[in-house]
Amino acid sequence: MKIAGEYVFNGPREQVWELVRDPEVLATALPGTQSLNPVSENEYEGEMHVRVGPVAGVFSGRVVASDEVPPESYTLTVEGKGAPGFAKGTGHVQLIDQGDGTTLMKYEGEVQIGGRIASVGQRLMDSASKSMIRQGLEALNKALEARVAAKSGGQEVEYKPPSEAEFAAAVAKDMAGEVLLSSRLIWIAVAVVIVIVIVAVILIGRGG
Amino acid sequence: MSDQFPVTVTVNGTQYERAVEPRLLLSDFLRHDLGLTGTHVGCEHGVCGACTVLFDGEPVRSCLMFAVQADGHEILTVEELGTMDNLHPLQEAFREAHAVQCGFCTPGFLMTLVPFLEENPNPTEEEIREALSGNLCRCTGYQHIVDAVKLAAEKMGA
Amino acid sequence: MTEKYVGQRMTRTEDPRLLTGQALFVDDVEIPGMLHAAFLRSDYAHARLRSIDVSAARNRPGVVAVYTAEDMEDAWKPCPPLVIPPPTVKGVLFHARTQVPLVKDKVRLLGEPLAVVIAESRYIAEDALEDIVVDLEPLEAVVDLEKALEPGAPLVHDDLDSNLAAHLIQKKGDYAAAREKADVVIKRRIVIDRCAAGAMENRGIVAYWDEKSQQLTIWDTTQAPIPIRNGLAGMFGLSSHQVRVIAPFVGGGFGPKVMMFYPEEVLLTWATLQLGRPIKWIEDRRENFLATTQERGQVHDAEIALTSDGRILGVSHTFIHDTGAYDPYGLTIPLNTQSHAMSAYDVPNYYSELKVAFTNKMIVTPVRGAGRPQGIFLMERLLDVAAKELGIDRVEIRKRNFIPPDAFPYNHEIIDQAFAALVFDSGNYLAGLEKAAAMIGYDQFIKEEQPRLRAEGRHVGIGIVSFVETTGVGPYEGARITVETDGKISAATGVGTQGQGHFTSFAQVIADQLGVSPRDIRLVTGDTSEFHWGTGTFASRGSVVAANAIHAAAKAVRTKILKLASKVLEAPEEELELVDNQVRVADIPHQSISLGELAVMANPLRGAVEPGTEPGLEATAYYGPQYGATASGSHAMIIEVDPETMMVEIKRYVTVEDCGTMLNPLIVEGQVHGGVALGIGNSYYEQLIYDENGQLLNASLADYLIPTASEVPRIEVGHEETRSPLNELGSKGAGEAGCIPVPALFAQALEDALADYDIEILEAPMSPNKLFALLQGKEKE
Repeated sequence: MKIAGEYVFNGPREQVWELVRDPEVLATALPGTQSLNPVSENEYEGEMHVRVGPVAGVFSGRVVASDEVPPESYTLTVEGKGAPGFAKGTGHVQLIDQGDGTTLMKYEGEVQIGGRIASVGQRLMDSASKSMIRQGLEALNKALEARVAAKSGGQEVEYKPPSEAEFAAAVAKDMAGEVLLSSRLIWIAVAVVIVIVIVAVILIGRGG
Repeated sequence: MSDQFPVTVTVNGTQYERAVEPRLLLSDFLRHDLGLTGTHVGCEHGVCGACTVLFDGEPVRSCLMFAVQADGHEILTVEELGTMDNLHPLQEAFREAHAVQCGFCTPGFLMTLVPFLEENPNPTEEEIREALSGNLCRCTGYQHIVDAVKLAAEKMGA
Repeated sequence: MTEKYVGQRMTRTEDPRLLTGQALFVDDVEIPGMLHAAFLRSDYAHARLRSIDVSAARNRPGVVAVYTAEDMEDAWKPCPPLVIPPPTVKGVLFHARTQVPLVKDKVRLLGEPLAVVIAESRYIAEDALEDIVVDLEPLEAVVDLEKALEPGAPLVHDDLDSNLAAHLIQKKGDYAAAREKADVVIKRRIVIDRCAAGAMENRGIVAYWDEKSQQLTIWDTTQAPIPIRNGLAGMFGLSSHQVRVIAPFVGGGFGPKVMMFYPEEVLLTWATLQLGRPIKWIEDRRENFLATTQERGQVHDAEIALTSDGRILGVSHTFIHDTGAYDPYGLTIPLNTQSHAMSAYDVPNYYSELKVAFTNKMIVTPVRGAGRPQGIFLMERLLDVAAKELGIDRVEIRKRNFIPPDAFPYNHEIIDQAFAALVFDSGNYLAGLEKAAAMIGYDQFIKEEQPRLRAEGRHVGIGIVSFVETTGVGPYEGARITVETDGKISAATGVGTQGQGHFTSFAQVIADQLGVSPRDIRLVTGDTSEFHWGTGTFASRGSVVAANAIHAAAKAVRTKILKLASKVLEAPEEELELVDNQVRVADIPHQSISLGELAVMANPLRGAVEPGTEPGLEATAYYGPQYGATASGSHAMIIEVDPETMMVEIKRYVTVEDCGTMLNPLIVEGQVHGGVALGIGNSYYEQLIYDENGQLLNASLADYLIPTASEVPRIEVGHEETRSPLNELGSKGAGEAGCIPVPALFAQALEDALADYDIEILEAPMSPNKLFALLQGKEKE
């Protein structure tokens, strides 16, 4: 399965770089993460509770960061397995300074999925993974904003990571929302078309 | 031993009091705890309909429910419909129309049809097929089942 | 006069039990002290097993035992192969590699079992699966058939130097010479992919070794209890009389339930022998997708050579057959493909090169059709392409090539699944096609209705195809019939029943001989302690082989009845008749004796018996056909396609079946309906989707679409009857006929419906996605 996307962080690139390398922040940004411990400089071990549709369970595995070019880019290799199955993937992350205090993150990679989660969760895989990534990046962004504010204000700012229930609800809403959003768009599109047709008829009528 | 919860449920007119694990499926409860093996399990993910029973009169997939959810409720299974010497008109119709081959999906179809025929005593072929589209059968190709429903409607309307 | 039961549309004797939920299926078996098993299955399709640690699982409360391959010690060995390839075919290369009870060194398919947990409940057993720590080193998987045979492909079996499981060439005549003389040679590549049998009841076993009585009892959802009994007895050093295998009511077989020996069958038996307690294992639906066999995967490169007026001069194809990770079922399926590739046509020259490939996918054994649908698909598609190129109507081109009704027995010369040269016993293919065409109104539709509907912008198509089906293969079956002292009849045969109505149709056969009502006949199938010898229910053979054994046994009992009654009633045998449970002198009805009384007399408690007399009114008989009988038929359908949504609606579906003598037409029709429904699934809705790592992506009924009552149309069944000269009943099999031609029919009808797009459908199953892709490449003309 291919994964690719972009996200804009509200903060300077150096701080984003620090953030995404901080295991404590990462552990809270993705709720369901039960532990994330550094094994060595670039390697982490952890456990994460995952749910894709009817399949849920704990994945344990490793995350390895490599090819680091701070603060521009790095490669992440992830390997996890558990009762729900296994996942193995590699992703490349690029951080681009937008020049206005924000940072553009570009990511692309490939994940191999197997076991129960692959055989029963297939239809949900794409939207579930996109949603989880987005929710995770949003949580990271909030953490970033808190840090930036703290740095400039000189004090700790409250950053409350989303709870597991809130996270799950957000993902579910996301996946349902995709459907609703498109149907909302269709109505808008239909309304626009009708207006155009009415206007055209009136104009033609006038012209004729 | 994990937590056991008390459950009081009326099945086919008899009240049962049992202590069950919260994760015990209703289908397993009926089949193994109560010995009512007429209800069958085909998929455990709510698609095939073989496990259909009546829950307070409504057809439900017993594989998607827990026994604890049945606490205080009434359940009807296929064993209540008729006996071998005294078949329900729907069962008679199934037999006459050769709507049964291996018989595994049959109880699920019957329990789906009982409330359907109560609400639709005179269904068209299309209405029947749609009503049955939630029950899978791999043996019959559905045609004789549809014929049986029409026949049953006649018998029950008479 | 005596009523004739064979041929009557009798309702089934067994139905009340099934309708009221009183029928015993394997999961209904409850024995005090019964334990439950759950299997740890590999999440990888190809992997090396580095280590497995079950200690935590063993310590979980409620767990009685956990076994790995190591625990089995000397008892661990690959299961015996079932069907050894025919020595009759010259130069066949075959590597037998059979499935193992538990993985020892290497995982070769997704879901292969690594360990078994035996616990107080299935819930606890499944909990304990998560306690097991397994270290699997993933290996590159082979999934694609052609890639599997390329040099350097990862090896499924490391002791072989490639993934070539078998290689075999069969020929008839001289195709190369025929090709030279042809006016037209058409080449196409045809791809067929896997489907599941999808029986509503998943597999299950209860195995119980009673140490005190030294008896092993096994309830198994098997289609072949006797071979299971023989194999398991042999494997574990027991006498076949110590082992009883019971196939009670079975919720659909369709082929994979005959595949023996599944790891679970071996493991449960071994485990109960260790523990001395009954153990139950019931497959759940996801396991069924992973752990029960599948079929249909083949890739063909095919050629047909014809004259300009559409006469087939020859057919040639090289193909790869997917056997999955192991090949316990020999070459049965691809031999069926070869023997059906010429279908109902007089093809004088045929060349077929078969390669069988090992892949990291589920084992392939017969699923309803068993290789025949692929052969029929091949021929019907080639003919349809030829018909288009030559400008000949599709009905007409078939008529020009049918084996004529006076050419039987017709010898195709090539070897089929019964290890003998393929001979068609009887048939009238032309009559079948013409009847189907008449029933669906082919001419009128093409000339009037279709142009009218097309002018309205609708995409409506008609399809019509023919097929043959080899059935009723040997080696043999047997039956025993006994007149009981209450006048009722007891009978037993070795085959099992999974919905085919044997209890009724076989009783009809007995009733005709003995003058009793079929309702007074208690028939037992699928219990090895009731009948000791036989093979099983598969290959559409029940109504041929078992029924003829029943017929022979019934005749033998009738002979005994008449002989004894003749003495008792003091009348010559020719003047006696069997009616209403009695023997009576024709024209002198009061001179009679009931069968029950006669049975008592046949088994005296005192006195002497004449030498050579057998006690009772009982007989056992066996029947083995000289070769399999060939059924045939034609299917036609009218289908409408929405070229935007790719949704299809079958407007009419017509079948004409020739299964020789029909024992019970009601049951035959039911079999046809069910077969067509499965065929429709195989054509447009079902396909097992594996990714390049051997992961099965749609292992649930939510994603593997079995047709519902909304997809299956009303099916009109017509009959032709050419009796089989091979057996006394004149019967041919009917179990698989419904599904065999359907993918070919769908392809033709869809092409016709979308004629303005001018597409060619050369693969099965099709699907809305695939059809969409085909239309994208084409502009509307």
